[in-house]
This record gives sequence, structure tokens and C-alpha cells, in this order.
Amino acid sequence: MLEIEGLSVRYGAVEAVGNLGFTVPKGSITVLLGANGAGKSSTLNAISGLAPSRGRIALNGAELGGLPPEEIVRRGVALCPEGRRVFPSLSVADNLHLGGAVHAKGEELARRTEAELDRFPILRERYHQKAGLLSGGEQQMLAVARALMSAPRLLLLDEPSLGLAPKVVEQVFGLISGLRTQGITILLVEQNAERALEIADHGYVLQSGALVLSGSGRELAESPLIRDAYLAG
Amino acid sequence: MTRTRRMLTLCTAMALCGWAAVGAAGAEEVTIGLATGQTGGLAPFDQPSLAGFRMAMDEINARGGLGGTYMVTLDIKDTRSDTGATVQAAQELVAAGVKFLITPCDADPSIAAGQISQAAQIPTMTFCGTTPTITDAVGDYMFGSYPADNGQATLLAQHAIAKGYKSAYILKSPDSAYTLRLPEYFAEVFQKLGGTVAGEGSYSLGQQDFAAEVTKIAALDPQPDVIMTAAYEPDFPAFLKALRGAGVTAPILGSDGIDSPTTTGLGDIANGIVHTTAGFPTDGSPLGEFYAKYEAVTGAAPETVYVATGYEIPYILDAAVTAAGTMDGPALRDALANLENVPVLTGSVTYKGTNRMPLRAITLVEIQGGARVPVETATPDPALVPAP
Amino acid sequence: MDFFLQQLLNAVSLGGIYALLALGLAVVFSIVALINFAHGELMTVAGYVLFVCILYAVPLPIAVVAAIAAAAVAAAATERLAFRPMRRADPTSLMLTSFAVSAILKVLFQNGISARPKPVPLPPDLSGTLTFGPVRLGTVPLASILVTCLSLFALTLFLKRTVMGKAMRAAAEDFQVLRLMGIRANRVIAAAFALSGMLAGISAALWVAQRGSVDPLMGFVPVLKAFVASVIGGLGSLSGAVAGGFALGIAEVLFQAYLPDAALPFRDAFVLGFVVLLLLWRPDGLIPARTGRRS
Ligand SMILES: Nc1ncnc2c1ncn2[C@@H]1O[C@H](COP(=O)(O)OP(=O)(O)O)[C@@H](O)[C@H]1O
Ligand SMILES: [Mg+2]
Repeated sequence: MLEIEGLSVRYGAVEAVGNLGFTVPKGSITVLLGANGAGKSSTLNAISGLAPSRGRIALNGAELGGLPPEEIVRRGVALCPEGRRVFPSLSVADNLHLGGAVHAKGEELARRTEAELDRFPILRERYHQKAGLLSGGEQQMLAVARALMSAPRLLLLDEPSLGLAPKVVEQVFGLISGLRTQGITILLVEQNAERALEIADHGYVLQSGALVLSGSGRELAESPLIRDAYLAG
Repeated sequence: MTRTRRMLTLCTAMALCGWAAVGAAGAEEVTIGLATGQTGGLAPFDQPSLAGFRMAMDEINARGGLGGTYMVTLDIKDTRSDTGATVQAAQELVAAGVKFLITPCDADPSIAAGQISQAAQIPTMTFCGTTPTITDAVGDYMFGSYPADNGQATLLAQHAIAKGYKSAYILKSPDSAYTLRLPEYFAEVFQKLGGTVAGEGSYSLGQQDFAAEVTKIAALDPQPDVIMTAAYEPDFPAFLKALRGAGVTAPILGSDGIDSPTTTGLGDIANGIVHTTAGFPTDGSPLGEFYAKYEAVTGAAPETVYVATGYEIPYILDAAVTAAGTMDGPALRDALANLENVPVLTGSVTYKGTNRMPLRAITLVEIQGGARVPVETATPDPALVPAP
Repeated sequence: MDFFLQQLLNAVSLGGIYALLALGLAVVFSIVALINFAHGELMTVAGYVLFVCILYAVPLPIAVVAAIAAAAVAAAATERLAFRPMRRADPTSLMLTSFAVSAILKVLFQNGISARPKPVPLPPDLSGTLTFGPVRLGTVPLASILVTCLSLFALTLFLKRTVMGKAMRAAAEDFQVLRLMGIRANRVIAAAFALSGMLAGISAALWVAQRGSVDPLMGFVPVLKAFVASVIGGLGSLSGAVAGGFALGIAEVLFQAYLPDAALPFRDAFVLGFVVLLLLWRPDGLIPARTGRRS
């Protein structure tokens, strides 16, 4: 579904990602692993159009490179950014409605909002509260729900389990598996390699902006590099 | 080829004829420098002054130049109303050898520029600077042309006494010499003539909010007979509206800064305001004829009397050049300083016996029904005019 | 007591205008980190439109609407022509650009219209006074209070109820994420400028009603007040701008009312001293802006 070839991301003199290539098959969960600063977020941001990049980024054969973020989300690619980044002074309702801003019709927006509130009942309870007052886990739910509001075909998730309580982490991973069954393709960036590889079909490991390892979820989980680096113990 | 050559010959011949004609009249080319604010804060004063100045200079050139001898080229520099830029412009103009320098309608840049031309012995005149200390702050080459603050204040104080006002409230702003000193000169003369000052208020230039100040005036008991201020736009209209809104009915005396269509556009609340002006055009008067001529030439009547006072300057200079027979600095300075009763649009101008701020007539007008009505025109009594 | 009540009313009237002015700056600053010093010239544009309308006897309500619309269009035009090409520039360059825009507009007014003030005479019934018990209020200050309240109410509705309003609040917190939602950056920014222009137009109508004229340099003092007010309130915070506007208005009026005569010429110094004290107490302003992460 998503093909990436020769991708590089530079911030001035710093090259965050260099000559990266990988693919995300339709209907899969693909996971991108790597230490802090490896270039994972930069890769997702490049796909979404937030980070300036060179190379080929193709969605079902159509080039995305060079399009602004506003256009890319209209092509069916939604990013749930690192650190949740909900709009704190806006209500849960407003956060969701902005997430669905690509829908021209009011009824479509209402239908999608209902669907997300069904998926995340806690957001229904908090519907009129300011997003900034939600707990970390609730904010993460809101961030995912907001990204889903645009009805994406490909969902990019940047460290959705970061800073959450173990129980909530479980909930999040359960949710991600559930999304795949609904036909949404997922590219997941995670530090929690163990949990991520359990649900992943494919995985790639980044180091200093370059690919060092790839394979199925199971292969990676068993590779010595991953075991040493992430799955301590 | 032949054609070009013939053209060239023709042109040369014509040029030679022209040269000969000028030579025959004994004309000399001189340059006058103008370092004035054509943009920025002084543009409302310097722009109209320049318009009048150029018109007069063109007329004088057309009839043979200053003193019938000196054909004038103008070197006009825009100072953007910045004192530093005025100094720079003055330096360049002095270096270029101008014979006479015009400075902006404001004391600070005029003094700064004047100190440069003073050192180079070049007579210098401020367009419509009214601060009477300008000339002494620079020296014997610096001249004013416009009715000075202390003269305006004297006439206003005499008018107040004649009207029977016993107590006056004065409103001043420390932000400029004009808005601070003119009311103070007024108070000085008013007290000398037997009046008392019932109170003083203060405002910041451009503040526009007078609600707090007028509430204080409204609370005065007894109310002053008259309120005097040198505030001008945008402060004056805002002050007047607030004052009348607070229920204060005391009459108002103002200075030439409110000689503007804005004041007459204020409606009924402006009725009864008396203010000074450099001149009021009446039908058949020289100023009235000038207004008509200006409109005929440019298509629009002058927006302000500064056009007329700018127009007067070349004629004042012409009188001095005629008397001196030269444009050399020291001689021209002496001739200017000795001018007496030079007829100008608004009356006459005298420098003899002054500190080079001219003795000249000032007009008082009263606002009635959206129009200005002349009250009187008089030259302030030098014995009453406060020392600068 | 009556004196105090009257002065309080005066302070509210002045503070309201300052609040509108500061809001105009804050709306744009919150989204593009630009302190738009050309805001004052937007007011001047509105002032000249009022002048022309009144010259041709256009009814006052239509004239005011035309003036507000003109300022909004002018704001959007400066965004398109001057600020959009500088979109990626740092805040300092943006601010310098706004100084340049301001200077260019002033020269255009001076040389294209007139260096002299143009009178904007208001209908005579607008110079009346109303008496409420011990206090009196002129029509224009009363209109200032009403218009300020109405504008604040309408602005709140716009920001809370409309998609564009929500988008503008969101943009102030996290512009990048807003773009991820498919909301077009250019539209939000253009709308913010237009809204800022409308606020400039409304304040201009009140400001001109007070002064009775419009001149090329008219915008300087109000933009200065707006800047001080928005710094007091917290740069880029909308509720801060309102709080800062009222704080400045109240400080100015009360110092003018209660300083002893000898100290009156230094009123502005007292006001600025008060501003410095406020900032020492709350360095980020009364109601600081929630700055979005722009990583
Ligand atoms: N906006 C930016 N400007 C400059 N450098 C950046 C920026 N974002 C990320 N980087 C740098 O790029 C590298 C990769 O960062 P990032 O993609 O965030 O890594 P990861 O998400 O894998 O932790 C890091 O060295 C980081 O410091
Ligand atoms: Mg990251």
C-alpha cells in the first residue's frame, strides 16, 4: 500500500533519515523500531508532509512527496503524532470535529463522531470537557479517535503507548489490533518493541536514520540484536 | 547623418542664444536647499509649506530671479521628519554650496540643521517653526517666518481680557514646546493683564482620551471663565467632545494648530471657539486672491494656511536680496535682519528690532455654524509679548 | 464617590477600545507569531473609508460597515502580498516586515491622499450626553462600551461555535497538527488576518469618532497601546489581550485622575512603571498564552 524508496530527511545540516526504503503492505500492521533519535518520527512526519524530504513516497502507486499535509490527509493517510498533541483548550467534541474537517457534509461528520464515541466510550463521558483536563490515557484515546475521524486508509501511529500506565498500554495495543480487523492499514512506531512485535506483521529497525534489520514480527522478536537492545532480560 | 548634424547645429545655436539672453540680463545661478519633512510626522506642515514655496519661487524665477539677478534652482531633500536625517541633509546641502537653507516646521531639527548652516554663514529659515527660541538657540543666521508662539499667546490673552474673562484654565502637554509653552505664555500675559489661572491640566500628545481630565475640570468650583489650550488634532477634537460631554460650557481659546477643517467639522460643539491663525482669506484681500490663484493653478484650494506662509518666504527673501544686492551670506543675513514692513499675503513682516522671529500680524477667528468668522487681525504689542 | 464612579466608567470605556486593539494583534500573533505593527495602518484605511463615505453622505451604519470591511480586506491583502512570502521567516524578520508594511502604507497615505488630516464629521446627534444618576456618559464613550461588549460577545461565539473559529484556536495551540487534520493553513492564516482587520476597523470607527479626523500617521498611538496591552495580558493570548486592554485603560485613567498636579506631566511614566511592575509580578502576562509545541 505504501512504498518508500531512497527517503531522506534533513534539518539544515542534520540528516535525520538517509536513503531509507521499506513497504507497508495493505491490511497489515507494520512496526518501525529504533532507539531515541533514530529517525522514526522524522519518517512518519515526512510521509505526512510535515517534514521536508527527498525520495519516493507512494500510496497505491501515487506519489505523495511534495504535497502539503492538508492534501495528504485527504488521500487517506492520517498521522497520530508523538506526544498526543490534542488541542488542550478545546473540548473533546471540538477536537473530534476538527479531526473530521475533511468531510464536507455535516451528516458524515456526525456519523463518524458517533462511530468514534462508540469505539471510545470514555470520550462520550468526557465529550464537553476540555481536552487538556483529560488523563494521559484519555488524551491518547482522543488523539487516535481524532486521527480516525478523517476515515484514513493508512494510519500512522507515533509511539502511542509512551508514558501510559501498563493497563492503558494493553488497551491501546488491543485497539490497534482491532483497527486492522476493520481494514485499516497501520504503520506503528514504538519503543515498546516486545508488545509491538506481538501484534505486528512486519517490522523494520532503524539506526541513525538507516535501516539495519527487517523481517516478520516473529523473526524480529527472536533476533539477537532486538533481544539485546530492546527486550532486556 | 546630415539630418542629425543639422539638428545638432540647430540645438547648439538655440542653446547659445539662450545663454546669450541670460547673460545679457546678468543672471546668476544659485541653489537654495530645503531639508524638510515631506514624509513622516512633519509632513502635514512641511508638505503644504513646500507647495507654496515652490509656486512663489517659480514666479520669481519667471520674472528674472531673486533681486532680479539670481535664478534659483531648488535642491529638495526629504528628511522623513527625522532630526538625524535633517542634519545629514543640511550637511550635504551646505557642502553643495547652497546660498540659503530652509528647515522643517519644528524646533529640534531646525536648530540642529541651523547650527550647521550657521557655521557655514548661510542664512537659514524655518518653514513654520513657531518656537520663539529657535533663532537664539542657533545664532544670527537663523530666521523664523511664521507667527511665534509668544505672539499668538499675547493676542489670545488680550482677547480674553477684552471679553471680560477673569479666570482661565490652561491645558498643556509636556510632549512638545508648542503645546507646553504657548499656554504658559498665555498664562503669563493673562496674569500680567489682571487675570488669574484657575487650574492647569496635562495630557500626552495623541492620547485622545480626555475623560479623566474633563471629569476633573467639571468638578472645579467655581468653573473657570475660559479654557485655553494649544492642543491640536487629534487631541483637540477629542478634548472638546469629552469636555462638552462632561457638561462643561466654558468658552475655549485655541492656537493656530486647530486652524483645520476638522475643527469646523465638529458641529455645534465647536461654536464659539476662538483661535489664532497666520491669516484668514477674505474676498479681495491679498490672501484671498492667492487662494483663488492657487486653486486656479492646482485645481484645489489650499488645505491650510501653511501653503500661503510657505509662499511668502521667497518674497521675503527677494526683498532681502534686492536690499543686499548679493546673496553672499553675511550681507544677506544683515539685509534680512533689517527688513521692515515687507508686504506679504497676510499683512507685513518686520525683522528689524526682533530676535529674528518676525513681527507680523496674527488673525483671531471664531467658529460659528461650521465656518470660521474673522474676529480681528493685529500685530502683538512687543511690550506685552513674553520673552522666549 | 461620584467622581470615582465617573472615572471608573471612563476607564471601562477606554479599556474597551484598548481591548479591541490588543485582540487584533493577538489574533494574528497567536497563529503566526507576528506582532503586526501595520495594524495601526489598517485602522487608518478604515478611517479613510469613513472619511470618503461621510463626504458622499453615505448613511453612517453603511459607512461603518464599509470601513470595517475595507480594513479586513486590507489585512488579508497585506498577508497575501507581504507576510505569506515570509511564512518561514523567524519572528524578528516577520516583525521587521510589518514595520516595512507600516512605513510603506504611511507614505502611500501621505503622498496619495494628503499629509494633512481629513475631517470625519459625525452626525450631530452623536455628540450628545446621557445622564445616569450621578454619572454622565457621552454618546461616543457609551457606544465604545456597547460596541466592545458586542464585539467580544460575537468574537467568542465565532471562536467557540464555527469551524473556522475552532480551527483558529487550535492553530494557536498547535498549527502543525491542525494541518494534519486537513485544515488548510493558508485559509486559517488569511481568516486570522481578516478577523484582525475587522477588529482594527471596529476600533478605528470608535477611535475616529473620538478624534473627528483621519490622518496618515493616525495608527501609531493605537498600535503602541495595543502592543503594551497585549504584553501586559500575555502575548498571543486572546483573553489576555482583553485583560491587558482593560488593565492599561484603567491605569491610564486612574493615574490621570488621582496623580497630584505636579506629577501629571509624568503620567505616562507612571503608567509604564505600573506596566513594568505587572510584568515583574507576572512575566508572561496576566493570562499567558498556551504555546503549542511546534516540533
Ligand atoms: N525539527 C527538527 N529540527 C532539527 N533536528 C531534528 C528535528 N526533529 C528531529 N531532529 C533530529 O533528527 C534526528 C531524528 O529525530 P526523530 O525523527 O525525532 O527520532 P525518533 O523519533 O526516532 O526518536 C534526531 O537527531 C533529532 O535530534
Ligand atoms: Mg520520535
